[in-house]
Amino acid sequence: MTRRTAPRAVLLAVGELLAWWVALALLWLVLISTVDTLERIVGASCAALGALLARMGRRAVTWR
Amino acid sequence: MNGWILAAGIVLGGGGAAALWGVTTGPPARRVIAQNLTTSAVCPALLLFAQGYGRPAYVDLALLLALLGPVGTLVFARLLSGEPERERTSAWGLTWAAAALGAAVVVALCVAGGPGRAMVKLLAIGVLLIGGNLIASRALAGGFQGVRGG
Repeated sequence: MTRRTAPRAVLLAVGELLAWWVALALLWLVLISTVDTLERIVGASCAALGALLARMGRRAVTWR
Repeated sequence: MNGWILAAGIVLGGGGAAALWGVTTGPPARRVIAQNLTTSAVCPALLLFAQGYGRPAYVDLALLLALLGPVGTLVFARLLSGEPERERTSAWGLTWAAAALGAAVVVALCVAGGPGRAMVKLLAIGVLLIGGNLIASRALAGGFQGVRGG
């Protein structure tokens, strides 16, 4: 028997990850000196990793 | 030498010397406040030097300082909070003066640089510097009693 996650919870999680990713990617674009393709790729990857870590950290300090 | 470097020299010489004097003399409560204000003197000076010498790399140093300075002060506040006899002193006049200095430097550099990504970065540094300074000062004054060890 498999436990199914509610679609609403999945949507919320994806939305939060997306919000973190956008914020972190924008921060990366602001802080680098020259914007080119390589920087965009590296920035998007780092922002994706950071979004995962940020959500894990946010959940770790939220009691529920 | 231009006006930016002169201003940076004045900020670093005046503020840095005053902070050094405060850190090396007096009771611990005053020393830790002076240590906290060191960030507020050195970070604007680094921003002014970056503009004066045309070296954007100094801005990254200022960013790191604005980020790590208040964190260091919070560690001191946490360590000193265990002493029952510690007097909770605060220097709100100096704190707001340092905040005004940081705001003035950031606004001047934003006007000089014009709009762009560099301006967003400067504004982020300003928010980190002033916000971190105010939070650290409040922690030193015992403002976060609800926080364990605050």
